[in-house]
Amino acid sequence: MSDSVIANYKLAKAPIYSHCFSQDRSVLAITLHTDCLVFKMVPNGKPQLVASLSDHDKTVTAVDMSVHGRIVTCSQDRNAIVWEPLSDGTYKPTLVLLRINRAATCVKWAPSGYKFAVGSSARIIAICYYEQENDWWVSKHIKKPIKSTVNCLSWHDNGIILACGGTDGYVRAFSGFVKGLDSKEQVSSSPWADKFPFGALIREWYNGSWIHDVQWRSSQEKLAFVTHSGSFSVVDPSDQIWAADYPEGLPLTSVVWVNDHEAVCGGYSCHPVLFTEGANGWQFSKNIDKSVAARTPVAASLDEEDQDEGASFGISALKKFKDLDLKGKVSTRVQECTHENAIEELAPYSGTGDQVTEISSCGLDGKVVIYRV
Amino acid sequence: MEDWRRIDIDAFDPDSGRLTKEDLKPPYPVAVGQAEIDSKISQLRSAATSGDFSTALTLVTSDPPYSADQAIKERYFAAVLSVLTQVRQAEISTLVKQLSSSQTDVLIKYLYKGMSCPEGQKQGGTLLSWFEKVTQHLGVAPVVRYLSDRNTV
Amino acid sequence: MSQSLRPYLTAVRYSLQAALNLTNFSSQVVERHNRPEVEVTNTSAELLLQPMHISRNEHEQVLIEPSVNSVRVSIKVKQADEIEQILVHKFTRFLEQRAESFYVLRRVPIEGFSISFLITNKHTETMKTEKLVDFIIEFMEEVDKEISEMKLFLNARARFVAEAYLGEFVY
Repeated sequence: MSDSVIANYKLAKAPIYSHCFSQDRSVLAITLHTDCLVFKMVPNGKPQLVASLSDHDKTVTAVDMSVHGRIVTCSQDRNAIVWEPLSDGTYKPTLVLLRINRAATCVKWAPSGYKFAVGSSARIIAICYYEQENDWWVSKHIKKPIKSTVNCLSWHDNGIILACGGTDGYVRAFSGFVKGLDSKEQVSSSPWADKFPFGALIREWYNGSWIHDVQWRSSQEKLAFVTHSGSFSVVDPSDQIWAADYPEGLPLTSVVWVNDHEAVCGGYSCHPVLFTEGANGWQFSKNIDKSVAARTPVAASLDEEDQDEGASFGISALKKFKDLDLKGKVSTRVQECTHENAIEELAPYSGTGDQVTEISSCGLDGKVVIYRV
Repeated sequence: MEDWRRIDIDAFDPDSGRLTKEDLKPPYPVAVGQAEIDSKISQLRSAATSGDFSTALTLVTSDPPYSADQAIKERYFAAVLSVLTQVRQAEISTLVKQLSSSQTDVLIKYLYKGMSCPEGQKQGGTLLSWFEKVTQHLGVAPVVRYLSDRNTV
Repeated sequence: MSQSLRPYLTAVRYSLQAALNLTNFSSQVVERHNRPEVEVTNTSAELLLQPMHISRNEHEQVLIEPSVNSVRVSIKVKQADEIEQILVHKFTRFLEQRAESFYVLRRVPIEGFSISFLITNKHTETMKTEKLVDFIIEFMEEVDKEISEMKLFLNARARFVAEAYLGEFVY
């Protein structure tokens, strides 16, 4: 294990599609099959399972925790549930009326913690908020012009602009202004638009390949997104786009801002990588999972392959045994990564001010890993 | 009418929001016309006959006729294929290394297209050695980009 | 092993690596269903990626059709003469009848190919992607060897039978 890995928890034998830490990092929630598991973090030990939230009956796709500690989960059974923590450590579920007829794919609390957005395969984003008089979470829909499944969402720190990306290859920014909950002052000097009526399309950017994650850098008024073609891009209010390709090439599924000029991305290559903004725009900088960085990725593996194939021209018994031996060994890439399968989601774990120093990740291998950046 | 159960009724619903192949094509400002392609083809031919494959390959991989209709693409492709197959095995590696990453992406498209049509399949060995050199140089990245790219050659 | 087999397998390996990046994706068309998008007709076009056709010559080809949550890999095995055609047919049929023991094998090959595999996100989540790629590559290596061995064996047997039978008529 490399020295950049602070903690490595093997929590499940199945994929973890999403994970979330509470504000004070004492509680961890992960998705597992049709459940959402809540763990209490133990210093220098394995997280302790405290609750299993199991009201969904299809795969849970995403989980998020608000500043108040409320957990929201959404699932392919078309529902979202808000879990209110009770004093005895259990959680009280409240079903949210999403009014969507396909799977819910992603969910994000607004920074205020009073509303959240749910993306779905029904080509709809539902903005949900609590209605006091009915004691009920209700939702309003953003439909146009989304053309395909919404993969990812991100709220701007002002709590009004909502960015989304999906399989239609567009990154879009909408206004999620809810009357009675938000005030116009929150966006009074925003460079993105003058007016923010609910559901208005503020900007859209065409990329072409599937967008796997979007993330705001609110203080900079910038938006980063990563795609299935393995590219990382940043856009700003003047519609300027900076793009960088990931040299290893495999698709990226998640992005997190570290500071104003650095972002960490993770994806199918199983280790998080750092992109840096320099004088020539954004560029791939390095691998965070340090031990892997030591070897040159592409060239080395190819040479090895060349030799292998070349030698097999003369087939002898010895060669056969050698082959058996070779086939039994774990391939180098897997061995040297902390994650053994694709990384599904990254999140900032700790930091000071604008600088994130530690990030957490979850992956298809059922692990939650915390990296030092 | 016996197979009415199999009729895809969603296709008739304008609100179904389903995207077709046509919808996915990126918007092109102008379509490339016949004349433009003809001149490109003759440029390609002359470069190839004079043995200047570096120029020919640069021509092939920069500004391919994405917006042209299928017939024009096919004609252009035939010229591209003949250039690719004329290059000697030993030169391929050096030529590939001269390409930028966006040029390699175009090359990969032509290689896959070549291998999917009968004329190219006869030359499968040559196309495969091009492919091998590209992946040796840049790894899996150009292939991943090919998958998501909606511009076709 | 002939000279051009290596680039062929390398191309398949890279293409598979690029294609086998799958997500758990619920259907956009049918409620509460999760199905391999590559197998569904009338699906939304944006969920399918560009198909990859890799061919060594007219007789040996691989078609990889990737989508958001599944990849279909179809292999056309070399069939030089009628005996090989019969052998390939029998051999692939034998495997297909036992498809569930192979997890990723499709029961029916798609048209124009000898054998098809269907890899879904369930497989990439529970198995190592590299191993899946290795399996397909190894299958491609082995199947040619197997077929030519069977052909030799068949010819030898035919010769033996013919000799034994026709020997009766030699005076």
